[in-house]
Amino acid sequence: MSNPQPVKEERAGLAPFISRLTALFLPDGGCPYYKGGGSSAEPTLLAALAIFSSVAPVGRAKPLLDWAVGLQSDDGSIGADPAHSDQGKWATSQAAFVFHHFGLGRNLKRALDFILSSKSLTLPDDPRTGQNDGLSGWSWVQGTFGWVEPTAWALLALHLAGLGGHPRAVEGRRFLLDRQIPSGGWNYGNPALNDKDLLPFWDTTGLALLALKSHPEERRVIQSLDLLEKNQERIESLCGLAWTVLGLQNYGRDTHRLKTRLFDVMSSLREDELNAAHFSAGLTALSGEKVFAA
Amino acid sequence: MKRREFLKGAALLANAAAFGQVAPNPVRQSCPVTLLPMPDYSRDMEKEIASVMAADGLVIKGKRVLIKPNFVEAHGGRPINTHPAVIAGTAHACLRLGAAEVFVGEASGHRRDPWFSVLNPSLRSILDKRVRCLDLNHGDAISLENRGRMTGLPVFYVARPVAEADILISLPKMKTHHYAGVTLSLKNLFGTLPGIYYGWPKNLLHFKGIERSILDLARSIKIHYVLVDGAIGMEGDGPIMGKARPVGVLVLSAFPLAADATASRLMGFDPRKILYLVQAGRFLPGLRAEDISLRGENPRKFATRFECLDDFKPMQGGPFF
Repeated sequence: MSNPQPVKEERAGLAPFISRLTALFLPDGGCPYYKGGGSSAEPTLLAALAIFSSVAPVGRAKPLLDWAVGLQSDDGSIGADPAHSDQGKWATSQAAFVFHHFGLGRNLKRALDFILSSKSLTLPDDPRTGQNDGLSGWSWVQGTFGWVEPTAWALLALHLAGLGGHPRAVEGRRFLLDRQIPSGGWNYGNPALNDKDLLPFWDTTGLALLALKSHPEERRVIQSLDLLEKNQERIESLCGLAWTVLGLQNYGRDTHRLKTRLFDVMSSLREDELNAAHFSAGLTALSGEKVFAA
Repeated sequence: MKRREFLKGAALLANAAAFGQVAPNPVRQSCPVTLLPMPDYSRDMEKEIASVMAADGLVIKGKRVLIKPNFVEAHGGRPINTHPAVIAGTAHACLRLGAAEVFVGEASGHRRDPWFSVLNPSLRSILDKRVRCLDLNHGDAISLENRGRMTGLPVFYVARPVAEADILISLPKMKTHHYAGVTLSLKNLFGTLPGIYYGWPKNLLHFKGIERSILDLARSIKIHYVLVDGAIGMEGDGPIMGKARPVGVLVLSAFPLAADATASRLMGFDPRKILYLVQAGRFLPGLRAEDISLRGENPRKFATRFECLDDFKPMQGGPFF
């Protein structure tokens, strides 16, 4: 069953969430993960995306974008935060994704150049894992091994920019499919150990599904979609619900009940539980806007 | 890196200049270690833990305390993580001893979602409202000089609440580890480093060498107190894929290496054969059994022999008690 776009009134019901999110924004223009923290790249970028996909005026994202643009290094990368701009460069893919939506062409181009110049290390295969360690995806830290989440974000950025056919994107999708757990889903990036499937995570499964949508590989993810659908009653966390909704609704699966639960979870979060990056992902999921589709 | 290659490299390093001398003169100091019986997780251990901490001279009154449990990921039925009852018992003991602030913080190694670690209702629902839970993966960090430099990393980006705590209490789970042999309080330091800088898992530390990373962290971050959750440990292919091994003990000490060495002996491992513990003995007291002053229950009540992967069987020994 197709997931209908929410009507305006439903999206207007998100206004209190927008207020709660914007209350976290800091005078420097950025957003912290949690109240009391300093501005970080990921919550700032995902908050901008949440504003883009919601009823809030897009102009409210400008300070966030200015902050993120100011964080861009000469090599095009975006680091974790101003104090550690040489760390956490995996955020560059999120930045490219957001820069695309807001039409920041020059910054997007530099970020894409950095993404395309980055490759995770490859290793000889380890018989214990049964995965193809010769495939290169994207890493959390430059010069280390590839993992599901940074690879998925790089693929999303490349796809949105029309570079889904680039050889790096093609290899990245092979990487993601290789890391899919045989019985469905993804975790951080090791599908099995000693012939035993490892457990999937809801958030990385939703994200990996988004990254493989609209490509020939998407027909090989049915068991992962089914896994999320079958387990939806077990998913309780903000992060898990947000990325499950995003993953499923992009494939036209019914997310009505999940969205109701996500709404309830977001409504009942205590201040010290409110992770702005996860909250922003939840807002984007509830908005129904297909920001992950090119 | 494959595990066998890693182990081969580690064995070579044990005898190589890269690690310096192989602990010819381990630090010697009398290190009290207390064993408290905890046959299951239904007992409230607050009073006993507070009493032992006070007897060990841990001054908590008016201090900011950060309790660092071990949360890797959640698999139903597998004792991977420090049990919430142990965390709560320790946190409430700190309040009892007059701590100004008590935080429970973790930068979980595999999962980004803090609902599966310190923000899980199973923990929050049993904690006193004055105890705050902190997701250390997502937040500010402080650059701390790497005082070991065995990894070649100049600094560690340590979660700000860890760097700013007056007292750091490590609460590891008693487990085998498929790369390092055992994982206890020193290895638990990995979880002081935010994932936004190191990733999920903290692959940079794997590339730099797990044992070198443990040693560098142990030199750079002071652990003030250790409480090992050995009520139910993990044997076999730990730290995730192993199976439950009830031991029924909590191991407490103000000396991290002494706690780890004692827990290792209770698990049937000889700490003098575990490379990173031996090397830690160059700068921390408590490796040698003769330097440990055991208190509390008789260790023979708990001493056992954990199953382990074949590669680690040469590290086993005993009986130690």
